Amino acid sequence: MIKATRSAADIKPGEALPPLERRFTAVDLVAYGAATWDWHRLHYDLEYARSLNLPGVVIDGQAFGAVLARAALDWAGPRAFVTKLSFRMKSMAFAGDTLRAEGEVTAVRSFAGGHLVELAQRLTSAGRRVAEATTEIRLPD
Amino acid sequence: MTLLTEELKAWIGREAHYPAREELGRASIRYFALALGDDNPLYVDEAYAKEAGYPSVIAPPTLVCETCQYAHRPPSADGYIGHEWRLPVANCRLIRAGNDYEFMRPILPSDRISVTWTLENIVERSASRGGTQLFVTAVARYRDSVGEVVAINRETLVYQPLTPA
Repeated sequence: MIKATRSAADIKPGEALPPLERRFTAVDLVAYGAATWDWHRLHYDLEYARSLNLPGVVIDGQAFGAVLARAALDWAGPRAFVTKLSFRMKSMAFAGDTLRAEGEVTAVRSFAGGHLVELAQRLTSAGRRVAEATTEIRLPD
Repeated sequence: MTLLTEELKAWIGREAHYPAREELGRASIRYFALALGDDNPLYVDEAYAKEAGYPSVIAPPTLVCETCQYAHRPPSADGYIGHEWRLPVANCRLIRAGNDYEFMRPILPSDRISVTWTLENIVERSASRGGTQLFVTAVARYRDSVGEVVAINRETLVYQPLTPA
């Protein structure tokens, strides 16, 4: 049995997505860097990061997009497809930070063969704004 | 002093192409999902993915837009192997402003993805901390083995002077 996919008919603007939290430890940063072929020292070399006046090793900004996409799909279900994801960086995040994704539905519209749901999403770390996103998801009829 | 020199303007419109070297593969997909702690069975469970209507397991949405996996060269001094323009900009640090991703269809482990980067624009804008900074916008178009665009990644990077004017 697969998980249910949300029906567009039941989705209204203003609906909040369940928050998703993901802590990125130094180990997670090495794993993410390796999985994405990103060997930049910023993500694991503390001495290097400190030489750039940074307090810790840096979570890759593209990982923010991955967390936001996951939050959207965890909510929408397995037949949902992310068509657009636009995110803007608001501040840096570092190893040890817990990123919290929150968001809500801003629009639902239908086309022949499916529905598009627009989301406004935010990523914070201990209340500090890390990224903002506009996301569009396609749902089947 | 202007950051946007004539030399730099000449970079606008340049392209960089990274041809597919192999299929994406199930291992890459599983590795990415594992690194993110994402336990969605669509990425690892063939039967589940087929029941959901896909031809096989699929990749998490943003994996295709991860920019390092397509390059094939030794790491820079900073350890970086991914695409970068290496623009002639001195005494600046480079930060990400944002990405606009568009996805046309789910990416499968059997996909062979090639990418072409185009440097769309470089503009100089005043910075809130004084002086100016450079906004560099580039777009990556990801194509499958028959040349169809499967994803687009428009990326804006900012060059910030280390010592503000």
